[in-house]
Amino acid sequence: MVLVTSVRDYINRMLHDISGMKVLILDSQTVSNVSIVYSQSELLQKEVFLVEMIDSISVSKESMSHLKAVYFIRPTSENIQKLRYQLANPRFGEHHLFFSNLLKDTQIHILADSDEHEAVQQVQEFYADFVAGDPYHFTLNMASNHLYMLPAVVDPSGLQRYSDRVVDGIAAVFLALKRRPVIRYQRTSDTAKRIAQETAKLMYQHESGLFDFRRTESSPLLLVIDRRDDPVTPLLNQWTYQAMVHELIGLQDNKVDLRAIGSLSKDQQVEVVLSSEQDAFFKANMYENFGDIGMNIKRMVDDFQQVAKSNQNIQTVEDMARFVDNYPEYKKMQGNVSKHVTLVTEMSKLVEARKLMLVSQTEQDLACNGGQGAAYEAVTDLLNNESVSDMDRLRLVMLYALRYEKENPVQLMQLFNKLASRSPKYKPGLVQFLLKQAGVEKRSGDLFGNRDLMNIARNMARGLKGVENVYTQHQPLLFQTMESITRGRLRDVDYPFVGDHFQQGRPQEVVIFMVGGTTYEESRSVALQNATNSGIRFILGGTAVLNSKRFLMDLEEAQRIARSGSHMV
Amino acid sequence: MTESKSGVGPVIEMASTSLLHPKRSYAPVSTEDPGNSSKGAVTVGLPPDWVDVSEEISVNIQRARTKMAELGKAHAKALMPSFGDGKEDQHQIESLTQEITFLLRKSEKQLQRLSAGGPSEDSSVRKNVQRSLATDLQHLSMELRKKQSTYLKRLRLQKEDGGDLEMNLKGSSYRAEDDDFDDILFSEHQMSKIKKSEAISVEREKEIQQVVESVNELAQIMKDLSALVIDQGTIVDRIDYNIQNVASTVEDGLKQLQKAERTQRSGGMVKCASVLVILCFIMLVLLILKEIFL
Repeated sequence: MVLVTSVRDYINRMLHDISGMKVLILDSQTVSNVSIVYSQSELLQKEVFLVEMIDSISVSKESMSHLKAVYFIRPTSENIQKLRYQLANPRFGEHHLFFSNLLKDTQIHILADSDEHEAVQQVQEFYADFVAGDPYHFTLNMASNHLYMLPAVVDPSGLQRYSDRVVDGIAAVFLALKRRPVIRYQRTSDTAKRIAQETAKLMYQHESGLFDFRRTESSPLLLVIDRRDDPVTPLLNQWTYQAMVHELIGLQDNKVDLRAIGSLSKDQQVEVVLSSEQDAFFKANMYENFGDIGMNIKRMVDDFQQVAKSNQNIQTVEDMARFVDNYPEYKKMQGNVSKHVTLVTEMSKLVEARKLMLVSQTEQDLACNGGQGAAYEAVTDLLNNESVSDMDRLRLVMLYALRYEKENPVQLMQLFNKLASRSPKYKPGLVQFLLKQAGVEKRSGDLFGNRDLMNIARNMARGLKGVENVYTQHQPLLFQTMESITRGRLRDVDYPFVGDHFQQGRPQEVVIFMVGGTTYEESRSVALQNATNSGIRFILGGTAVLNSKRFLMDLEEAQRIARSGSHMV
Repeated sequence: MTESKSGVGPVIEMASTSLLHPKRSYAPVSTEDPGNSSKGAVTVGLPPDWVDVSEEISVNIQRARTKMAELGKAHAKALMPSFGDGKEDQHQIESLTQEITFLLRKSEKQLQRLSAGGPSEDSSVRKNVQRSLATDLQHLSMELRKKQSTYLKRLRLQKEDGGDLEMNLKGSSYRAEDDDFDDILFSEHQMSKIKKSEAISVEREKEIQQVVESVNELAQIMKDLSALVIDQGTIVDRIDYNIQNVASTVEDGLKQLQKAERTQRSGGMVKCASVLVILCFIMLVLLILKEIFL
């Protein structure tokens, strides 16, 4: 919640002191940051009558000097260049520059030099350099996400840019929270270690003055971990509302583009918004499983039909007056009901077409329960099943390989061959590449609960007790990490501190940053953990929000680059 | 300086409700070469004409708001028990309501004038200004509806109470009468009762008529406005969606223009014209040759 509030606060401050008609100029990243927390109608209330992108602003030659320009952009060198051009030929009456992160001195000098007409009224830094989608979940929406899987030698400048972007994002989060954290990282990940060290350098050396906030009893904790420690969660099919929408259709900046599924009737909404802030039904149901959602939607539709019936039954003048009064509410309700009904209908169709009930049951077994032989049989059956899509087959084999990497190599090989023969578009060696990246040797966490005796016992107990819902058995590894932090038992061996940082006791605020991306299943886990009021507030962030399609894409891209790199050597 | 087109109110009113900064000076855009040295602060250019219309509308909205406050007070006064027949209170309420409704209608008509065609930046600004004013108008209309309905409700309650009181009085006096004088007194009481209920029903009808009229008018205004007002929480309320739409309409417009240019250039017309010109030229040459050789 606090991140959403901080971003909204920043935007309010930007717009509040400037009176008159304004134009808001954003870049391709800040447009997501702003759109997800601020609505168009709120902008209109603040007299912002035009919103433009910094790329297109220089194309038009119309002079609009009756408007005041409010720029909110990232301080990248490209943006600075575009600004220079625009300041040389100012189109607007006033120019107020707000940057979403720290400006370098050189950049300020460049801007000052190019401001010949003295068109700039103010330059400020407002640290809203992340996309705050949910109360305890943020993302950086990074495009080239796959770089974290490659060793530094392959593309050093690319990896440096990647790391810089992540460090900037994390810095912005802590500047928005006005805290300076103690930093820990996952030992087995070079990328995580590098990011943790560079963040520490920024916060404690380069800009130590800026980060020198009021000290409280316990510093917050920043934990930088790697996606590859838990490759299972992004591969699984999801059955809770928000995660399911992202997995089956795709959720970008809290928007769903229904064109991806095709076959929509003419008057149906093409794009819809799923935001827990603005949609009470979604807020109540975003972490519920599919069966419960169906029932709740049915109840909502029944309620709506009651209201619609009473609206049609207009007898007296009072009824008429009441109808006119309640019409906006009625229209809003109608839109909301139709949105959720459409989403659930489309998802049901996809579940049916791809036989996901069947596939997901095997997936969950692979992720949670033992029995190599039975697992092999199940996976082989599904590989032979014609209705199962190529991507689902790939996921099944990957999950099997991650689990039974060392057991029965012969059968594993057989599965690889069967997959290659069944799926024409399968890029050979992708599963092996995954194992090289995230195999049992690379992982430090106890992903399947079969290393630690305690975990084995816990699993057996769970198996005997039986599960409430077969499809939502899986707990992401993150859940265990959060439990360890809550108990104060996060092992130094696995998650060392940066430099000479140290933390006494438990932190009260923890930001977990996952290099490589988070998933909505993990964000749900965090939200539920926070709801237990354990005294610790967790915030989760990542370089992107993954679903299985995105994770596979990143793997393929990394594999392609790794291959071409090895050819060059 | 811009001419004030609304000759209705004083200029002072306009300054306090202007969309633009009241302290800004509208220096005219100079047409001469500014020369080498920079002049310091950028002179603000003249805003486009439609800004005047939007200012007028916001002035009217402000006026309607103050009148609504007055109406609220008048409602409260009329509901308080008084010794007179309250006719002047009624009259004041009626006139205020009419004025407000007139202002709202006028603003709504003017709002339509703000619509513009073409995918230019200026038209985006116009559309957004229009939406913002439409939202304000809609809120005002709904507020007016609510005020009216609560007033009428309270008024009805009051009349019923008063009516009951009267009925009780009549009832008790009625029972006290002797049966002998029943017929004569009966008809007298009945007559007065009928007359009273007639008066009440006539008044009721008038009230209902008023309510129906205002409901109709406001329903009309709401219908026209609902096309302009943004539904909060939907995709249309997203900043990134609006930017995309503008971009795609501009792109489409550009494509159309390019297509038009191409068809025009490669058009049959051009070919025809060139062919005809060449023919004329040939004929001219032939004519000259004919003259020379004959």
